[in-house]
Amino acid sequence: MSEYTKPLPMPAEDSVPFWNAARRHELSLQKCGTCGAFRFPPAPVCPECTELGGEWARLSGRGRIFSFVVFHRAYHKGFEKELPYAVAVVELEEGPRLVSNIIGIAPDKLRCDMKVEAVFEDVTPDCSLPKFKPA
Amino acid sequence: MLERRDKMTLKDKYAIVGVGHTRIGKVPEMSDYGLQVEAAKRAMDDAGLKKTDIDGMITHSHMLGGIRVHHQRVAQRLGMDTAFGVSISTGGATSCVMAQLAAAAIEAGFCHTVLCVHGDKALTRGGETHDGDREFGPEFGLFGAAAVHAFGATRHMHEYGTTHDHLGAIAVACRKHAQLNPHAQIRKPMSLQDYHDSAWIVWPYHMLDCCLRSDGAAAFIVTSAERARDLRTRPVYIMGMGRANNSRGPYHGDHMIETGGKASGEQAFRMAGITPRDIDVAQIYDCFTYIAMVTLEDYGFCKKGEGGPFVSGGRVELGGELPINTSGGMLSEGYVEGMLQIVEGVRQMRGECGPRQVKDAEIGIVSGNGGNAVCHSTLILRR
Repeated sequence: MSEYTKPLPMPAEDSVPFWNAARRHELSLQKCGTCGAFRFPPAPVCPECTELGGEWARLSGRGRIFSFVVFHRAYHKGFEKELPYAVAVVELEEGPRLVSNIIGIAPDKLRCDMKVEAVFEDVTPDCSLPKFKPA
Repeated sequence: MLERRDKMTLKDKYAIVGVGHTRIGKVPEMSDYGLQVEAAKRAMDDAGLKKTDIDGMITHSHMLGGIRVHHQRVAQRLGMDTAFGVSISTGGATSCVMAQLAAAAIEAGFCHTVLCVHGDKALTRGGETHDGDREFGPEFGLFGAAAVHAFGATRHMHEYGTTHDHLGAIAVACRKHAQLNPHAQIRKPMSLQDYHDSAWIVWPYHMLDCCLRSDGAAAFIVTSAERARDLRTRPVYIMGMGRANNSRGPYHGDHMIETGGKASGEQAFRMAGITPRDIDVAQIYDCFTYIAMVTLEDYGFCKKGEGGPFVSGGRVELGGELPINTSGGMLSEGYVEGMLQIVEGVRQMRGECGPRQVKDAEIGIVSGNGGNAVCHSTLILRR
């Protein structure tokens, strides 16, 4: 198996459950116990109502591309062979927006508001990355 | 209550009385401190002030992470004692905020005359200027400031039909103006076609959509209008001030297409008691062409979404309705994180700009934008 040369996530303490869920091929975020909002990035406090706590809950995995950019220069050697590659801001159905890649479609075919759904890429035995494909 | 608010306004109470900068571009033979101290000296000479006339210092520097008391290190090298000294950052919004913080510190009685300095060795040093995130970015290939700002341009193009011709018009204007500035880092002629032909960095940004990387430092000195009247240089009054942040982040809500400039600009215009129509010249923070364009929208020079047509057809060039970035901007003059925008803004008010002087310019606006499109600050300056 060839070595994975791209950066791996270095989870903050708050993010560990996110990445554990990703390993199970689940997209999970904290849902505020008081106002019900999902938050991203993971944090001890709800940014909507400032209440502490919140339970990790599974998301549908559905969303839309809110915006995207296409890298033509490699800022990191691990991405050299993939140029040009796209990075998207995906807005999940439940509200939060997060950064990811869109797979299974050429960068020049991407469009804002395109519907997508989550898939998981097992990049190492210990790490899976949530990515998205056109829905 | 109304009377108290009127008494609290800082409109025209403070002035910029000295400006200076070093060579801008590649300056391998000077250190960070060397550049910063030289810029400080030039501003002091411009104001006709001695080190004993200055009792406040505010600095901004890429060194802040490792050297928390950077202001002290600069004061030490200048042989200066400062009653009020602080080093701050709000990214590219820092420069305009330094002027406002200086005024506030003087107003509070902490000091009477403040030297504001920023300098960097980004071109010689190389590498990325921002510390990387550890998750939710690099693993997906997201790196650098250009990409984070570029998301906004993609969304704006989607919602309003903004084109590369529109963004290119800003790049072309800045280069034209740089050609009239002997200190500008890049003065090579550039046509709109040259802009289109320039390499993609992170689509939708060409290389020529992105500001320069520079070695260089700049400084300015703020004091009260009363003190300013006794000095050798014509004071430039701070007529309006604003600051606002899209604190929820660059991807939240409509932050990609509307910056903190909306609230910041409104505050500055309200303090100044004027409208965008009264502005003769604008120094608009142009880390990227898109940010300059969206700032003009957010300041109310045109409607939201109409920034593209607004900057086209020469409107923002010298001789046009609203000349912007008359010394070349960060796109062509050099990147000292918003400081040169204040220096040029002041010089335009003094009438010192020679071939790039906007005739009869009386009121100018300066913007700062930072933190990857989330922090914003505004100054309105007048003769």
